[in-house]
Order: sequence, then structure tokens, then C-alpha cells
Amino acid sequence: MATNPLEQFVIKPLIPMEIGGYDVSFTQSSLWMAFAVIAATLLMTLSMRSKSVIPNRWQNVTEMVYEFVAGMVHESLGHEGRKYFAFVFSVFMIVLMGNMLGMLPYSFTFTSHIVVTGTLALMVFLTATLIGIIRHGLHFFTLFLPAGLPIVLAPLIILIEIVSYLSRPISLSVRLFANMVAGHTMMKVFAGFSVMMVASSGIGMVGAVLPLLLNTALFGLEILIAFIQAYVFAILTCMYLKDAIELH
Amino acid sequence: MADKSNELARKIQEAQQRQRQNAAGDNDGSAEPGKDEKSKALRAGTDLVAALAVGIFLGYWVDRWLDTKPFGIIFFVFIGFAAGFLNIYRSQTGQDYKVGFKPSSPEKQNSENETENGKTD
Repeated sequence: MATNPLEQFVIKPLIPMEIGGYDVSFTQSSLWMAFAVIAATLLMTLSMRSKSVIPNRWQNVTEMVYEFVAGMVHESLGHEGRKYFAFVFSVFMIVLMGNMLGMLPYSFTFTSHIVVTGTLALMVFLTATLIGIIRHGLHFFTLFLPAGLPIVLAPLIILIEIVSYLSRPISLSVRLFANMVAGHTMMKVFAGFSVMMVASSGIGMVGAVLPLLLNTALFGLEILIAFIQAYVFAILTCMYLKDAIELH
Repeated sequence: MADKSNELARKIQEAQQRQRQNAAGDNDGSAEPGKDEKSKALRAGTDLVAALAVGIFLGYWVDRWLDTKPFGIIFFVFIGFAAGFLNIYRSQTGQDYKVGFKPSSPEKQNSENETENGKTD
């Protein structure tokens, strides 16, 4: 029995590979990413096969997810956001599937690695910045100069704004990663309590139920967090895109 | 079939009414803080730390580049703090991380109206 609560995050290569001196093994993390993509694709395609007016359960789920993201995009980006719906939806689905599949026993939560969330966040950040530069050209950089700013303060404020802008991908990635690591570690720690109590026998056998009950509640909380974090990731993607598109 | 779709129409109408009531409750501010408020609170911590991290990182590299140790890092820690609090201020006052100081609330109301129009047609 693994008692180290952090052991669940260790990357294990399934198919070792190496290209040009770099380790590019197919790991269990890659495997669960593939599962996430497959699960999302299957959910979206299979459930919509019947296309009935009165949806069955699966179709209902798909429509709910679609309308949820579509509403979010519409609310923050307006009519023009339609172009970016596919991007936001993909980001939302991969994060949601990563978090949710991670809740299955014996699975691996790939969103608990900063390299994964960091890559996603950088992708969002660079996309938003590029869209801004493409749409507005060099005018995009007036983003760092708030309107009506006294010229004396400009050097200081511009510096602060640039740091604030650069902190976006970091806070975006750290938030998701930290939430996932903290949640899964906590569950493992409480599960460990149960195991230790049972091992100690005697009164511990009865007491072991308590961490188990708490873990059951935590499991529900974790599912909520898994969803909220995917939601936050997607809504922030929308907001960054909004900045790039509108440029106030 | 007709029965079923009538029933569905009735259920949709009921749900929409409930949704409208909920939305109205949120606007009063009388209802308990909504999901938005909670996710805002959750965001605040990482926002501060992330900006501070960027500040320290920039300060460190400025020091290495210009050989100004330790003044670069001192200066950029303060810039990082300022940016962090700016991040929090923006997310809490509903400026949605918008760089610059324009509140986005009037626009938001517009887009909300648009959503409702979009739903009715």
C-alpha cells in the first residue's frame, strides 16, 4: 500500500521513446490525455447521433455542455465571439475531461502537472496576444497604457501593466495545477488515515470509518472543484480573448 | 407525441421563469453571493502570487543582465506587488482583468440583453 500521498503524481513511462536525446516516452499521463480526447469526442458524436427534438439523457448532457460554453463565450465576447467558440470549447473540454477522468479510481490526473497546465495556459496566452496583434497591429500595445493617464506616471504604470499581463499565464496554470494537486493529495492523506487505523486494530477499526466518511464528502467536493476549475479556465480564456479583440 | 412536446414546452417555460427569477434575485444583491463571487475569491490568491513571481523573475534577470544586484530584484518585487494588487482589484471590481481602468459593467449589461434576445428567437 502506497502511503506517500504524492506518489500518485509520479510519471511512469509506458512505452519508452527517445528522439534526439529528449525523453518523449508515452507515459500514463499521455495515455489519460488520449482517453480525455477520445471520451470528449465520443460524447460529442455518439450522443448527437439521434438528433431528436426531445433529447435522451446523453444528448441532454451534450447540449448542456454546448450551451454552457456557448453562453459563456457569447456573454463575454458578444456576437464576434462565435469565431473563437471552437477554441474555448476545446480548452474547456480537455481541462474538464482531465479533471473528471482524474476522479476515477486508478486513473491519473494529467492536469495535476504544471507542465500540462502551463502549456495550455501559454497556448491561450499566446493565441490571445497574437489575435490582438493581428487585429490591431502595433496599436495593440496601447493596452498597457490606460486612458487618461498622467504622462509622469506612464513609465511606472506601463511596467506594472506589463508585469500584470505577463502574470496571466502563470496564475492561470498555477491555479488549476495547485487545485488538482491539493485535492488529490488531501484525499490520499485521509485514505491513508483509514488504512493506518485499520492496521492498528482495536478501537482504530471503528474509528477508521470517520476518515472514510470524510473522504466520501471530499470526493463530492473534488468533483465540484474539477468542474469549477475547468469553468474558470474557460472563462479566463474568454476574458483574455476579449481584451485582445476589443482593446477598449 | 403532441402531448409529450406540449409537456416539454410547459417544462421549458417553467424553467425559464425560474431562471429569470434567479437572475432578478442576483441583481438585488439580496440573495446569497453567487457562484461568480466564490470563483472570484478563489482567483485572488494566485493572482497576487503570480504577479509577484513575474516581478521576482524579471528582477533577477535584470540583475544578471545589467549587473545591478540587488537593486533590480528589490525594484521589481515592488512592481510585482503592485501588479498583483492591481490584478486582484480588477477581478474584484468586475473589471474582468481588463488592462486599463475602464469598468466593463455597461458593456456587460448590453451583452446580457443580447443573450436574452438571442434565446427568444
